[in-house]
Amino acid sequence: MSNTPTDTIRLTIDGTTVTVPKGTLVIEAARRVGVMIPHFCYHPKLKPDANCRMCLVEIEKMPKLQTACSTPVADGMSVRTATTVVNDAHKSVLEFILANHPLDCPVCDQGGRCDLQDFSHQYTPTTSRFAERKRIFAKEYFSPLIETQMNRCVQCLRCVRYCDEVMDVKALAPVGRGTMTEIKHFGAHPLDCEFCGGCVQICPVGAITSRLSMYEFRPWMLKRAETICTYCGDGCQITIQTKNNDLIEVNSAHSAGRNNGDLCARGFFGFHATTHPDRLTHPLIRRDGRLVEATWEEALRFAAEAITKLKLAHGAEAIGGLISGRCTNEDLFLFQKFMRLVVGSNKLDSSARYGHMNAIQAMRRVQGAHRWTVTFEDIAAADVLLLVGTNITETNPITGLKVKEAVKKHGATLVTIETLQPAIGTISNIANLATHHFTAQPAQFGPVVLALLKAIVEDGLGDQQIAAQSSGFVQAVQEALGKLSWKQLEQTTGVAPACVREAARAFAGGRRVVVLVGPGVLRQPGGYHQLMNLLDLLLVTGHLTRPGCGLAPLAEENNDQGAVDMGAVAELLPGGADLNDRSARERLITLWKEDLPKSPGATLTELIEHAGAGALKGLLVVGENPVGTLGTAAKTALAQLDFLLCQELFLTETAAMAHVVLPACSYAEKSGTFTNTEGHVQAVRQAVEPVGESRPDWEILSALSILMGAPIEYGDAREILKEIRSLIPGYGLLGPSPTPPKVHQGALDSYRREGFAQDLNSRYTLSPPPVPGHELTLLLNQSLFHSGKFSRRAKGLMMVQGTGALTMNPTDAEAHGLVGGESVRIRNGQGSFTATVTVHERVPRGIVVFPEHFDEEAKQLVALSVDPVTNVPYVRSAQVTLEKAT
Amino acid sequence: MPKHELILLKNMTQPGYSGSLGEYERAGGYQALRKVVEKIAPQDVTTMVMKSGLRGRGGAGFPTGVKWGFLPKDYQGPRYLCCNADESEPGTFKDRQLMERDPHQVIEGMAIAAYAIGAQSSYIYIRGEFVLGAKILERALAEARVAGYVGKNVLGTGRTIEIWVHRGAGAYICGEETALLESLEGKRGLPRVKPPFPATHGLYNKPTVVNNVETLANLPHIINRGPEWFASIGSPPKSTGTRIFCVSGHVKRPGNYEVPMGIAFRELIYEHSGGMRSHRPLKAFIPGGASAPFLTPDHLDVKLDFESVAQAGSMLGSGGVTVMEEGTSMVWATLRLMEFFHHESCGKCSPCREGSSWLVQTLRRIVAKRGRGEDLETLSDLCRNIAGRTVCAFGDAEVAPVMSTLKHWRHEYLDLIHAAEASNLLRPEPAMARH
Repeated sequence: MSNTPTDTIRLTIDGTTVTVPKGTLVIEAARRVGVMIPHFCYHPKLKPDANCRMCLVEIEKMPKLQTACSTPVADGMSVRTATTVVNDAHKSVLEFILANHPLDCPVCDQGGRCDLQDFSHQYTPTTSRFAERKRIFAKEYFSPLIETQMNRCVQCLRCVRYCDEVMDVKALAPVGRGTMTEIKHFGAHPLDCEFCGGCVQICPVGAITSRLSMYEFRPWMLKRAETICTYCGDGCQITIQTKNNDLIEVNSAHSAGRNNGDLCARGFFGFHATTHPDRLTHPLIRRDGRLVEATWEEALRFAAEAITKLKLAHGAEAIGGLISGRCTNEDLFLFQKFMRLVVGSNKLDSSARYGHMNAIQAMRRVQGAHRWTVTFEDIAAADVLLLVGTNITETNPITGLKVKEAVKKHGATLVTIETLQPAIGTISNIANLATHHFTAQPAQFGPVVLALLKAIVEDGLGDQQIAAQSSGFVQAVQEALGKLSWKQLEQTTGVAPACVREAARAFAGGRRVVVLVGPGVLRQPGGYHQLMNLLDLLLVTGHLTRPGCGLAPLAEENNDQGAVDMGAVAELLPGGADLNDRSARERLITLWKEDLPKSPGATLTELIEHAGAGALKGLLVVGENPVGTLGTAAKTALAQLDFLLCQELFLTETAAMAHVVLPACSYAEKSGTFTNTEGHVQAVRQAVEPVGESRPDWEILSALSILMGAPIEYGDAREILKEIRSLIPGYGLLGPSPTPPKVHQGALDSYRREGFAQDLNSRYTLSPPPVPGHELTLLLNQSLFHSGKFSRRAKGLMMVQGTGALTMNPTDAEAHGLVGGESVRIRNGQGSFTATVTVHERVPRGIVVFPEHFDEEAKQLVALSVDPVTNVPYVRSAQVTLEKAT
Repeated sequence: MPKHELILLKNMTQPGYSGSLGEYERAGGYQALRKVVEKIAPQDVTTMVMKSGLRGRGGAGFPTGVKWGFLPKDYQGPRYLCCNADESEPGTFKDRQLMERDPHQVIEGMAIAAYAIGAQSSYIYIRGEFVLGAKILERALAEARVAGYVGKNVLGTGRTIEIWVHRGAGAYICGEETALLESLEGKRGLPRVKPPFPATHGLYNKPTVVNNVETLANLPHIINRGPEWFASIGSPPKSTGTRIFCVSGHVKRPGNYEVPMGIAFRELIYEHSGGMRSHRPLKAFIPGGASAPFLTPDHLDVKLDFESVAQAGSMLGSGGVTVMEEGTSMVWATLRLMEFFHHESCGKCSPCREGSSWLVQTLRRIVAKRGRGEDLETLSDLCRNIAGRTVCAFGDAEVAPVMSTLKHWRHEYLDLIHAAEASNLLRPEPAMARH
């Protein structure tokens, strides 16, 4: 198939003919034919600025030399990049750039991978005729993580442009004029920003470098491993660089991975967590009430005997398992296989239960697929985006960049229903980019979604075809919504109907519509019903089945999706098949040549419940910390267990209660695969040797199986992946982006025929609006600088955010007589804790926000509630009162 | 009685003329605007301006009507007019006088231009130091608004022509039209990469026209007296109308002189400006602001129009004529200009940013008799490497003084360098203050 002449342009570069899409820049066209035009300020992610003038080229019929980075190609254009004139220009520009450069390569961290160094070798003589004084900037302390050395700066402004154009943070700016131009941040204090490390990565010279690895290395000393970040579900490709098995730095090659080379603070500065001195290095066995060091042989034998004994005494059903969604697919697969074959119990679950399962169940029910039907590319290419409770910059920063790209580069319409409202801050705020924003109280996103749906059906904005095909469903929706008055909706949501109608029109009119859903919905009461309603919204507008459109629930943990795919959840078998699905069971039985347990599964909440009730006697916990997450309730329950085994990196609250603790490898020390939030399977590669005697989780489980007399043995993680692939065709081929699954027509048909009816009316109701009183809603929120509790071991991140502070609206603060920096006591009937107050307009009135990563004390205030359908435990909000601490 | 008819300076040279609305109206003011909004279609105004041959008075001399014609015809959204009143070119002070002494002439010109291009919002980007000018314009705009010449419903036609004064913050570069737009948008005043040009992607990325104060002030007269009249003045067909030349330096009567284009420099300097201030003869002059290359006494008979000055190796530029007498050190004069350019280089692109600092340091050394034999070659190399390789025209401007003095007065450089080599051979280089 050939493109029409209007789409492509033919031109010659140094005599070579090349055909490129219209709008391509000369510098990019040249790269296609292997001609590298030297440059500093050009970067494919940024708008051309043509300030370094390094890329001057000769273009036929143009009197002056042109900058290749800012000149779009034209038909018949003839470009010359290596004539004497061009070479002279390159030399002279480089001479200018070097004039004020300190030439301190021997002490510069960029030495060895510096564009200026490389081009200097290529173009300039070894001596300079610049015999004047060089300008010198006063050295200023920039930030704990980022070092600036402005004398080295070539003023290409890539950092400033990246910070604005890609990150939307705008923390940096050029200050001063002429040769005295330097890059600074705002305010008379150390840099306060997202710390995405983008400026460090994009600086072509050594002007901005990382302080975490300052003076520690030369690039050629480093060993590199391409692997995947574990701090959230985005699944960013990172390059871990090590020197003699020491972690030196993490970065991401341009255009690498799903993140396209972009990272966030956690990815870029959070890599020290795995080498924290608190890492468990030896197996521990509880002897006389104390955990003492043991050999692997002792510990494994102890564990195997304990499990076998329990199984004989109480049956396999008395043993449960719980695994973290941060483990690799191989670990997760082997875990469920171990539980089902070796132990013989279906009572297993993973941390996907903390919220991701709400999305999985809703998606399975309506669209038949348990994965996104869209990709990151679809988000960036969307013309309408709806974000519901995402808190996206903090929770999934890189998915957030795709949203920013859609809005900033392509002008997409952005509708946000978020708890945090638009306000300028030191980190980017997606609501600031919104065309339509609705502030919703925690767990109150539902009414706004219902209002949108009501506007769509009332204003006739729904898809005509859908209305004709599934009149019953649409009618039921209409009737249910008819019972809700606008007045009621306005009272509950505080949102004016006219605004909702406007947003509804934009939403319905979109051609490529993606709905992103975050922890505000997934991890708050009513999550499952809200997701169902969002799917209804997509269905009614016809977007659900349109290519490039769909629902995108954001996974908070890096392999939540993998845990589901691997069948490491209570209700699913590998491949997302139902636990009782006969053909899926048959396939497994044929493959494993062993029968599967017939008993029902048990969700995380049920496991805890059963343990508390004494029905569960033994529990295997792999990398999960239910006591830390669920608090006292879990602690009391787990204390009842006869045997608790933990495979862990650190001695967590749960591990501290265990009878045997086995030291496991972190992601940096093992190989395998992770599945990111969009369902993309990516390779995890070992970067460093295991810490102490730690071993990969799958290896530990395999060893246990041998000791328990039912060996499941593998040579390495690849063999497990092979087995996974035989069950889930194409899984983890690690090739180019696989096409996402389509909506399953059968499932959709059955849903809109009768499936909706079972709970439609109960879903389309309003919970009573929160009574305004002296009580505030405490929201335990994700922070941009942390991920669970794990990141608290990362020294870089602790330098940015070392403690939790309570953020509140200025008006609320004033009402309580509080100002930023003061200490406050937060209390309710269940307990109290003290925190420092910070004040920000982002937090709406009536809400106080505390980072969940520092919530050990805050947790006790939260009353656990469980979703009646999906059994998801909700532990992120509470009603509290404040008083000034004295 | 002046030799030539005054057009732009006519009102203000009347005794007692204060520039108030009443006086401007009595002198026939705002008749042109009335005529235009009531009787002439916008595109016909553009045609008239094209016919008049009016060229930009800011420096580049681009035909005004043609510039307006570049605006996309079918574009539906807003379009803007900006009056470039950031007059900062050393030796240029005509716009300041136009704004301070006869503000309504400028406002009427703007209103006509805004009408012609369909701009509902127009901005006067005035140099930050012109505090008085800004106050006078604000006051005049208030008067014009009350009288219905500016505002929501201009002269009852229902048409909106809003004009706002925006003060700059003290950067020469903001006189460059795209830097002006950036600054007007509230950003750092740095020139944009062109293309795209302001005609399609200007203020807030919308079609925009940027015109100089003097250019706009000509418009009422073109409307009142017809484009043919205007085209007959000066040196037709390419340089029509009058220009206000700002004569400064070693002359008897420095000041603004409005003369038809095409008279000779000799007439401007020796008749209008009263000739040299002392017995010392003329040594050099800058014909069009600091960015224009120096000319010599040999060029005194060059005609003051765009083409003739260009042919003589310089440019008519902004009309700032600076005269220097015999005895002036041309190297020192170059250094003074270079110090200005070094101070004002915005720093966006490497050749200008680094080159200006290099040039100024070398010149300083030469003037301080610490020059070196190789300096002259370095100077000309640097100039060659800056010119034509920068984002905006600033690069070409800053090398003009150096290149032209090196061409005409090379021996002065050599004398200083030889003096240095003779006397300072053994003296160590003293430390220089940080600039």
